[in-house]
This record gives sequence, structure tokens and C-alpha cells, in this order.
Amino acid sequence: MSRRLRGLRRASQLAFLAAFVVLFGLTAYLVATPIPPDSFLRADPLIAVSGMVSTRRVIWSLVWFAIPVVVLSLALGRVFCGWVCPMGTSIDLIERLFGMRGQRPSKAPQLRRVKFYILAALLLTILLPAARRSAADLGMAQTVGLSAIYWLDPMALLTRTFALVAFPVVQWFTGMANEGITAVGYSDFVYRHEWLARAMAPVQTGLGVVARPVYFRLGVFTFLTFAAIIALGRFARRFWCRNLCPLGALLGFVGKASPLRLAVSEACTRCMRCVNECKVGAISDDPHAYRGVECIECYSCVAVCPVNAISITTGRAQTHRDDRLGLDRRRLLQAAGVGVAAMVLPKVDWGQRLAASSTAKFSGAKLIRPPGARAEESFVTACVRCGECMRVCPENALQPAFGEGGLEALETPILVPQVGPCAQPCTLCGSVCPTRAIEPFTVEEKSHLYLGTAMVDRSLCIAWASDKQCLVCQEACSYTAISQKEIEGLGRPVVDERMCVGCGLCESACPVVPQRAINVYATGDKRHLSRGEQAAIRRQAGEPNRGGAEAGKAPG
Amino acid sequence: MTREEISRRDFLRRAAAAGLAAYGMGELAGMDGAAEAAGPPTIAVASKKSPAQLVQAAVNALGGMKQFVKPGNIVLIKPNAAWARMPEQAANTNPEVVAEVVRLCKAAGAREVKVMDHAIDLDTAAFKMSGIQEAAQKAGARVISARTQSMYQQVKLPRGKVLKSADVQRDFMRANVVINLPIAKVHGSTKVTLGSKNLMGVVWDRGWWHQSASLDQCIADFAAQFRPKLTILDAVRTLLTNGPKGPGKVGTPGVVVAGVDPVAVDAYGATLLHFKPEDIGHIRLAFASGIGEMRLDRIKVKNV
Repeated sequence: MSRRLRGLRRASQLAFLAAFVVLFGLTAYLVATPIPPDSFLRADPLIAVSGMVSTRRVIWSLVWFAIPVVVLSLALGRVFCGWVCPMGTSIDLIERLFGMRGQRPSKAPQLRRVKFYILAALLLTILLPAARRSAADLGMAQTVGLSAIYWLDPMALLTRTFALVAFPVVQWFTGMANEGITAVGYSDFVYRHEWLARAMAPVQTGLGVVARPVYFRLGVFTFLTFAAIIALGRFARRFWCRNLCPLGALLGFVGKASPLRLAVSEACTRCMRCVNECKVGAISDDPHAYRGVECIECYSCVAVCPVNAISITTGRAQTHRDDRLGLDRRRLLQAAGVGVAAMVLPKVDWGQRLAASSTAKFSGAKLIRPPGARAEESFVTACVRCGECMRVCPENALQPAFGEGGLEALETPILVPQVGPCAQPCTLCGSVCPTRAIEPFTVEEKSHLYLGTAMVDRSLCIAWASDKQCLVCQEACSYTAISQKEIEGLGRPVVDERMCVGCGLCESACPVVPQRAINVYATGDKRHLSRGEQAAIRRQAGEPNRGGAEAGKAPG
Repeated sequence: MTREEISRRDFLRRAAAAGLAAYGMGELAGMDGAAEAAGPPTIAVASKKSPAQLVQAAVNALGGMKQFVKPGNIVLIKPNAAWARMPEQAANTNPEVVAEVVRLCKAAGAREVKVMDHAIDLDTAAFKMSGIQEAAQKAGARVISARTQSMYQQVKLPRGKVLKSADVQRDFMRANVVINLPIAKVHGSTKVTLGSKNLMGVVWDRGWWHQSASLDQCIADFAAQFRPKLTILDAVRTLLTNGPKGPGKVGTPGVVVAGVDPVAVDAYGATLLHFKPEDIGHIRLAFASGIGEMRLDRIKVKNV
């Protein structure tokens, strides 16, 4: 009985981790998933609160997924941490893989309160920006602070690790496999043996679809964060879960309401195996007492007890369940200070004063957001940096920002056309964003969601500067925003900024390398306008009717 | 003049044969224009039918697909599937035309039919939206997106005036029969895009062509060395403005043109877009290099 419960828990952990991986991996262009790929992120109450508070509205897709987790915790304590959380399972698996057992409970650092201080600081960064409102905020900028939740939220962290670290590695291997099979497929041997060619064809086709080289800058920072979390297991098992995780802190607090209790019978021989086995150090040196807010209901203690003295009951057992958080008021105030700093300091980094506003604000020329992205202030607050949008982008065009938007925009998605363009018929990034920092959008709307404007550098452009027969940018443009100007019998590209949405197809196709001769800049970014207003601007440009090569006559 | 023309052509054919030997047997097998009889080139122009019937009529007028595809051959069809556009927008080859060509090759006994392009838009989107992937697969072809460099091999072009070497798609190089299957569109850089311009889609480093001394010459150089066995031009719909991607004005000539002489097909195709063949740089240069006929009065047109 007791062992079976542990087996059940392990099966649950593996099943949820598998579900996480499958949901993460399945989403692709033209592949429909019945379950939202961002389900785990939506189910995270911290992300739900952050997303809704920072955008000041109820997002039902978050509410419906987060409520079950809260209810589960109210009923069964931190069962989410022990049975569901893919971050916890990943840590368990890796600790098992590397044989990390932590230090003896008496020697392990006692830092369990830290996660509550972190939670307090993070909640402050969510709530304070939303509370402050000024006239200017009502229009363009909706918030003045910065939600720091992305930094330490486990779902965001793990999804980000999968997206920016694991995914490129997997794609590197599929790419290698694809290269190998391509080489074999073109060999004389295969050409001579029809059956072999026939057998290889589906594999080649499949790999051709799947194997797409993916590259993310800054992947190494994300990797180091995750590696640090794992490395802390040297001090204590699940160091992250017991000491740092803000979601664990929240669920532990909620789980105080749970009626579940561990009961230790008189048969206990004080062998201390349960104390040593407990992953989160919830059982102190007396096996008859444990901390309710720490217990993740993994029931390892039940399984290892040699005399089967531990059982699970509801209601009053003789066992002492200690539900105190034991927080220190001075420390809480310190945490609040750190929260305010985390919220404000990124905003006062190398800022510059914009002519149009009185506030210092960093704004990079290459800060090009995906279509559907909210206005910048609101976007950086709502974005939890989970990386889902970057993961699903079929052109690998969305990359984590580094300096483009200042520190506050660190690791948020930006479009880097030199890596890839925003493919016109794709709407994936808007469909996977859990907090709607990228609002869902349609293919039709993309023709007036202005991300930026392409500009031709006439000193680099080979048509302008060296009279070459090149209008690749005009060819590639999805929105007929580039026309040709006929000078001395040769067409030279010109951009109509009312039609150009800044998708970057021109920049990615431009044959001038390494510095392209046509570049998208954030200049034409119109996210501060509503979609209706943006559509009106597009309508002013009229129907596409130009293009040099008019029928029946030479261009010009 | 005419005699000179023919003798030059013969000379070049021998040069091509020598080149073939240099590359090893089979390497250029799919690019063989020598099947053409002496005298003025013949092209077939089919009209007033459904797309599939247009293809049948045009190919039958040239003697049927058996003239070009032998049993056991590997056939490579190069449509234009570069853009994430719908068939009605006339940016890609008509999917019904592609499917019918695949069926004809299969019926002629082809061992394998490959439909290949190197899309400029996101390939999955282009293949899906153009309808070509579904239509070609249903007809029994293997659809290949040539989007990694390992699918290309470097080839020297000894006769090239500007284009001396290119990374050419391997399936294209190794096929027994290459059928070029362009759609007729206007084009920003080259005024029109027809057969020879469509072959730019089998080249990896095509961006360099724009930077070279002359894009038109590169197209002509490539066409001079790689001559498909058959060119079938889809002019069921034509794109008349904002080419090559559109959206623009779509014409509906309802025509399919087929021919062995790639320059003759292109020359006739230019007229469907209301251009004169001699106004198009790459057609003029291809003609000048002796690979085909562009003078309309010397092309035999079979209307069917």
C-alpha cells in the first residue's frame, strides 16, 4: 500500500512531464493541438495573477486553468509540487541521474523562509505598478513598473529553458540526421537500388519537415540559470523547491487549508529514515512533527518507513503539523525593498529622454516586437519570458532581447529579420502567449499590425549604389509595400511606409551581406494605436496598385 | 544567318556532349535538348480547356509524354512554388497543371516523379497554400523542399559568360528527365519570369546573381547549360502587376504552352504578358548564345 502510493506519484510525475514535453514539442505551423500548448503556464496561479494584473483585465483562459491548481492545493496541500510540477520532476530526475543526495538534514542550509520573501517581493512587483495610474498611463503606457515574476517563476523558467536551450540542441541533432540521410540519399548506391530509395523517401520527407536549424542568442544565460538551480541540489535535495520557488511558497500558503495529515503511530522506532528521505526537509529531527507548508505530499516517508508507522489521515491526528510560516517582519520589509528595486532599477538603466515624453526611456531602433504585441510598457510587464513564442516561430525569427529594449526587456521576444522574417500566413506566436502580452491576431490583421518600417540604405543597396539588377526586396514583400523607382532604365527599390508593416521579409532576403541594404527599424511601430486605428492607416494607402512591371509596357 | 545559327548550335551541342563526358555519365542526363528535330522549333499552345486537359493537349501535340519520359526514368518537375499565395493569386504554378504533369509522367512509366522547389517564403506555407504539395502528392509525386545547402552540389559552367559556377540542386542534377513547369508572371527585376527565370529556383546561391555584373546574363548562362527536356508554361492564370509575388492584377489567358526549345516557349510566353521577346534581357541573351529561337515568325506554333 505505502509503496504503491509512491509508485503512483512517480507515474503522475512522469506523465505530467511527458505531457509538458509533448505540448511543448507539438506546436508548429500548420499543426493543430487540441490542448493549448501553454497549458502549464496558464495553470500557474502566479502567472495568471501577473498576467491579469499587469494588463488590468480578466483573462479567462488563465482563470480556468489556474483555478484547478488552487483548488487542488486547498484540498491536498502542495500536491502540485510533488505530483505535477515538471520543474520538480526535472530536478528529481537529474538529481537521481547524478546521484545528488544533498547534505545531511542537520547540515543542510535552513533557508526555507527565503521563498516566502521572494514571493512577497514578486507580488509587490506585480501589484505596485498596477496600482499607480496617471493620465499618461491611461493612454499609451498602462503600467509604470515591471513585473519581475518572469525571473523566478518555475513554469516560465522551465519553458524558457526548454525553448532556448533544449530545443536548439534537439534540433541540432535532427539537423545532423537530416544532413546524413541527405548525403546517403544522393549516393549512387541508393540511386541504383530502387527499393532503398523508396524506403528512405518517407524518412527524408519527415526529417525535411522536422529538421529546422534553430538558434537562440542568450541561450547560455538561460542554461546557466537552470544549471545553477540543479547545482544547488548539492546542498539539499530539491533546494529550489524547498528554499526558492515562489510558486511553491504560494501553494504552501494556500495548502494550509488542506485537511490532509501525516500520522505517525506508536510503532515509530525513531530510525530517522523518513527525516533523511524527505525531499524538502519538511520533517524536523522529531519524526512526530513536520511542517505542513513544506510537505509536497510525495509520500516518500510513508514508503521508506521500515515499520509502516506513517499513514495519511484527514482531521486531527496525534502528529503535530506545524503550519506557521515563521516570517520575520524586518525581513519582509527588506524583501519589499528588494521588490521595489527589482521593479524600478531596470527602468532607469541606460535610458534616454524621448522628445515626446517626459520620462527617460530606453528605446532601441531594433526593438521590433512580434505582431499583436501590446504597447511596450504593458508588454514588458505582461511578458513572462517563457519563450513559447520564440519556440513556435517557424522562421526562428523571434529572439530573446538583450540590449534592444533596455534591462527591463531582457529576454523578451524581438523580431530579428537577419535570422528570419515574420512569415506572412503564420499567427502562432499570438496563439501561444499565456498572458496575452502578444494578443491573438489573424492573418488579415497582420497587414495593418505595424511592427516597424523597412528602410533602404541607398549607399549599400546594389540597385541604388552600383546599378545592379536587383529588386529581391520588392519580390519578397508580402504587402506590395516596396515599389521600384525607374532611374536610367533600372528599377531601384522604394518603401511605402503606410503599407510596410516591418515583417522583415525584405531584410532577410536582401543579398547584401553581412549588413543588409534594407533594414527594419522600430520607427514605424504603431502598437500604441488600437487595431482599428492601425487598419485606418493601412486603408489610407489604398489598394495595392503599383509595381513597376505594368502589363504591356516597360517599367516606369 | 540562319545557317550560321544552326551550325553554331550544332557546335554548342557537341561542346555540351563533351561537357557531359567530363561530368560523368548521367550527370546531365535530364538536361538534354538534342532530341529536337532540325528546322524551326515547334511549340504547342493549348487553350479553351480545363487545366488538366490543357496539359494533355499541349503534351500530346508534341508527340505525347512517352517522347520525353522512358519507363524506369526518374523525373524531376520544377514548378514555381516559391510563395505563400493561393492559386487564384497566380504567384505559383497552377496545382492542377502540376498534378496532371505528374500523372502523365507516371503513365509514361516513370519510376519516380519528384516535384521540387526552393521556396522564398516559408516553404511549408508556400507548398501548402499554393496547393502544389497536396495536388502533387495525390498524383503520386514526392514533393521536395530544397531548403538546406547539403541538397545542392557545386557545378562549373564552362560556357558561362558571367555565371561560372553555381550550387545546383542534386535531385535536379541526377534526374533522367527534367521538366520545367513555370507560371507566366511579370517580374520586378527581369520584367517577366518564365521558364529560364524559373530555373533560378534550383540554385542555392541565387542571391549572388543579383550582385553579379548582369542578372539577365546569369539566367541565360544557366539556361544555356541546363536545358530541360521539356518546358511546360502554365498561363492558365498570369500575374500582370506586382510580380513575382503579388497580389496584383491576374490575367486569365487560359493557356498552357509546351515546347522542347526553352527560348521559344519563353518568347511566346512573353507575348502572353504583353511584352515583345526582344524587350526581355534574359530571353535576348539566351537567344544570342544559340540555345533556342526567340523570333516569333520562326517558331512553329501548334494551336490545339
